[in-house]
Amino acid sequence: MAEARKQDWIDKLHDFDRRWIFLAMGIAIIVPFFFPLGLPVQVSPMVRSVYDTVEELHEGDVVFLSLDMDPASVPELQPFYKAVLLQLKQKRVKIAIATTWYAAPPMLERWIRETVEANFVPDDAPAEKGLPDRDHVKNKLAKSKEGRYVKNVDYVWLGFREGKEAVISGMGKDLHDTFDGRAADGTKLSDIPWMKDRRQLKDFKLLILVSAGFPGIKEYVQQVQARYKLRMVGSCTAVSTTDLTPYYDSGQLLGLAGGMTAAAEYEKLVNHRGSGTQGAEVLNVGHIVVILAIIFGNIIFFVGRARERKRRAA
Amino acid sequence: MTDLPMIDLLGFWLGIFLTFCILSFLYKDNPFYKFAEHLFIGVSISYVITQQYYNVLRPKLVDRLAHADHWFWTWDVFALILVVLMFVKVMSSRLGWLGRYPLAFVVALYAGLQINGVAQADLGQQIQRATKNMDLRKVNVNKMCKQSDDDERKACIERQEKALAGVPGISSVVAVKVRKGAEQKPFGSLDDIAKLATLSEAERSTFSAARGSVIGTDAKAATTSGQRDWFGIFSQILLFIGLLASLVYFYFSVEHKGTIGKISRFGVWVLMIGFGASFGLTVQGRIALAIGRVQDVAGTNMTKHQADQIHGPVVALVSVGIIIAGLVIWELREKRKRQAGPTSGGEK
Amino acid sequence: MKKQVPIFITLVVGFFATLEFYLPYSGVSSVQETLLRFGQVLAASAFVLGGVNVIQVNYPIIRRRGADWPFKLLLLCSAVAMGLVGVKWHEVGGKPANGYVRAGAIGERACEMPDPKAKKPGKKVACGYIRVEAGREDAQVKLDGDAPVVNGKPHPSAWAGDQHLVLKVPVGKHKVDVSVELAGYGKFESEFHVEAGQTIALNTDLVMLWGPTGRVYTWIYDHVFAPCNATMFALLAFFIASAAFRAFRARNTEAALLLGAAILIMLGRVPFGRAISASLPEVADWIIDVPNNAGRRAIIMGAALGAIATGLRVIVGLERSHLGAGE
Repeated sequence: MAEARKQDWIDKLHDFDRRWIFLAMGIAIIVPFFFPLGLPVQVSPMVRSVYDTVEELHEGDVVFLSLDMDPASVPELQPFYKAVLLQLKQKRVKIAIATTWYAAPPMLERWIRETVEANFVPDDAPAEKGLPDRDHVKNKLAKSKEGRYVKNVDYVWLGFREGKEAVISGMGKDLHDTFDGRAADGTKLSDIPWMKDRRQLKDFKLLILVSAGFPGIKEYVQQVQARYKLRMVGSCTAVSTTDLTPYYDSGQLLGLAGGMTAAAEYEKLVNHRGSGTQGAEVLNVGHIVVILAIIFGNIIFFVGRARERKRRAA
Repeated sequence: MTDLPMIDLLGFWLGIFLTFCILSFLYKDNPFYKFAEHLFIGVSISYVITQQYYNVLRPKLVDRLAHADHWFWTWDVFALILVVLMFVKVMSSRLGWLGRYPLAFVVALYAGLQINGVAQADLGQQIQRATKNMDLRKVNVNKMCKQSDDDERKACIERQEKALAGVPGISSVVAVKVRKGAEQKPFGSLDDIAKLATLSEAERSTFSAARGSVIGTDAKAATTSGQRDWFGIFSQILLFIGLLASLVYFYFSVEHKGTIGKISRFGVWVLMIGFGASFGLTVQGRIALAIGRVQDVAGTNMTKHQADQIHGPVVALVSVGIIIAGLVIWELREKRKRQAGPTSGGEK
Repeated sequence: MKKQVPIFITLVVGFFATLEFYLPYSGVSSVQETLLRFGQVLAASAFVLGGVNVIQVNYPIIRRRGADWPFKLLLLCSAVAMGLVGVKWHEVGGKPANGYVRAGAIGERACEMPDPKAKKPGKKVACGYIRVEAGREDAQVKLDGDAPVVNGKPHPSAWAGDQHLVLKVPVGKHKVDVSVELAGYGKFESEFHVEAGQTIALNTDLVMLWGPTGRVYTWIYDHVFAPCNATMFALLAFFIASAAFRAFRARNTEAALLLGAAILIMLGRVPFGRAISASLPEVADWIIDVPNNAGRRAIIMGAALGAIATGLRVIVGLERSHLGAGE
């Protein structure tokens, strides 16, 4: 009788309505959002490499920032984008921004208004206790003009071009031709002094690639990194990280920040607590739910299998 | 801070409502989900077309032809012909074979780009890395650069600082301090680095946190030359063997039996660990997507003033209420239809 | 014609695209740039073609009142609406001006102000006036790249209460930008010379833009496209939890290795893992750096060989599946 009752329990779990799991996942995401665990983030070597490479830049250097993403990948990539932008602004580095994803332009134009042309660090933001390298850099951006970049003077928005590898290869050969000689607002690239002679990707000090998939970091590595010996760092979604780590290992990428936790690590490095850090808090519980789901699923499987074998033996 | 216009406020509320319409799919496929899905697809179609036209077709085709002296004598007319042939395929099944011309062009162009790209990046560089020197030595923190030639000395300093920056717990800024510290007084042990006067408290604590004899600072750095990083060497050998075993697994021209079978099996294990890592990160990625929605609804990515105007959580609750009420009504109607049977009414 | 010409095109274009890499001549490079441009145009056209195809598929369903036809009608209507909104109507008939400048007479109104460049206070310079006649309540103004200072404080609004903003500026060249915070409106930018006692009036009527940078288009993108796009993918978080419970079984050694590695990565890559053990993050990093890289490298190299082989087969015409079956 007890055996039969136990078997019913196992059978019930076997036919468990998956909507309960959906509910558990929903709770696991919402509750820690409002009640965070407050666990500190530790910086990993790959993310550290991105930071150190960007730190080597000097005032007046020009970087190429490719934001190849869509609204779905914003939670994983926007925190890194904001953190690296803060670092670039503090160094007064000029930025050429472009995208190869059709879903990005309106979103990026808004980001440029809100984060590049405006100072997104609030004036009353408290001083953060971050990593030691920031001691020598004071955050002067609040209340100062330095945090607000001027279009075509401090940055240029090149716009969007379709074509996947063809666009990337084209940018490697002739950036001006790829963007038809003009920025997205119609300004001639030859009229912008610091873009006039930058006709190829190799003319930029560093390429910072924020990519959600295809085309993205992998295509940049294949089409232009090896051919022109470019210095590149990247941020990608967590899903793509394992595909790209061989490129980091071989030195084709100088650094790689993969996923929301990497973005949180980068925020820690630049002393800016943002949505990445907040998201990492929630990931703690989300991962535990999935791990428990795997463990329980396997327990049910093995108990069920053992019961089946016993029944066949009998 | 300026208030959001009413139309934008309604927009944010619409966005939250559509979010929950799509999430209602978790219950089952229902009219709210279908509404949101079809609205999204319809908007996406024209969004993509307008983006492609204004960003690509107009500057690269239309404007070039319009501004040419004799447009039919320019090379761009071939692009126009190929585009037209592409559309002929859709318009006429009899002339659909003409669509092969632009397709052949595109396939050939991208095949050519791929061949060169993967040959250099995916084959050449990866083979080069795989055959890297495996005899890893620890970085000597006391290495001096005493070349008489200034350029050589400068290069030596750069190399030393770069090597030090690769050690866990030592950043590029700290690497400079460590090198200068070693020049003044060589370190007796790695503990002396933590006692450097030029380090800040935070730098000291970062260095101390990274100490470890397997993969930490002690595994990668030493106070004398020639010491080996044994765990690093083991990892490099494992990396190389794992690569070869995985390549053997993908070689199907030989039957996987005996020794080849065992090597192939090891290769499968290495691949499975890699796929496990990929799965673990995929879980992180997927959950992050859902976290993003919560952040948007809660107003994390906007100013406090805007978030207070929008009242995201309240709107979310109202949306959920409307959808639940709607689903209840829909389920009751569906139940009545099922009970009535297929003979009544009749749908096409 | 039906097969031979496409094969010929494939051969010529493919060989050129491949060999261009090894031929460092400017003539070759410029031909390649032309080919790349054609490729981009065709890629963009393919998206347009896809849109046309969606309409071709859904319109017959609506006509014959097929399954879910009201939703298909919604699909087409929203496509048409977005398409109409995506056209740059404000440029039909020429690009609109967002305002104009009216220069008053020199010396019309006496003006003197403290010299902004003087290190010691007390020195005065001749000045003129800039009067901003903004058409919108929420118009913002920038003088020489920054918000103008009024009574010692930055004053970004183009209004002083309910009056037009009037600024005192030193004689010389000045640049004024008038815009609104909201996206989708035009901007008025003007550079001019102000003489002593002169009033320069800027009459601005910022045009609402249409097209990809327009007000309505951006509104639909921000409040329909973006939330739906993001939420479609957010569903995956729930499905992966469900799949983890129902499908991921450690049936054999390989599956056990996969799940074990996955669990270690999931724990090691979040702050919670470090709270359990300081070694977990290092273990997770090692798994990614060593066994994962070994397997991925093998896959990358194998895929590269496959891509090269397939690419060459396509170029020389051995592979013709993309050209369709039949004659």
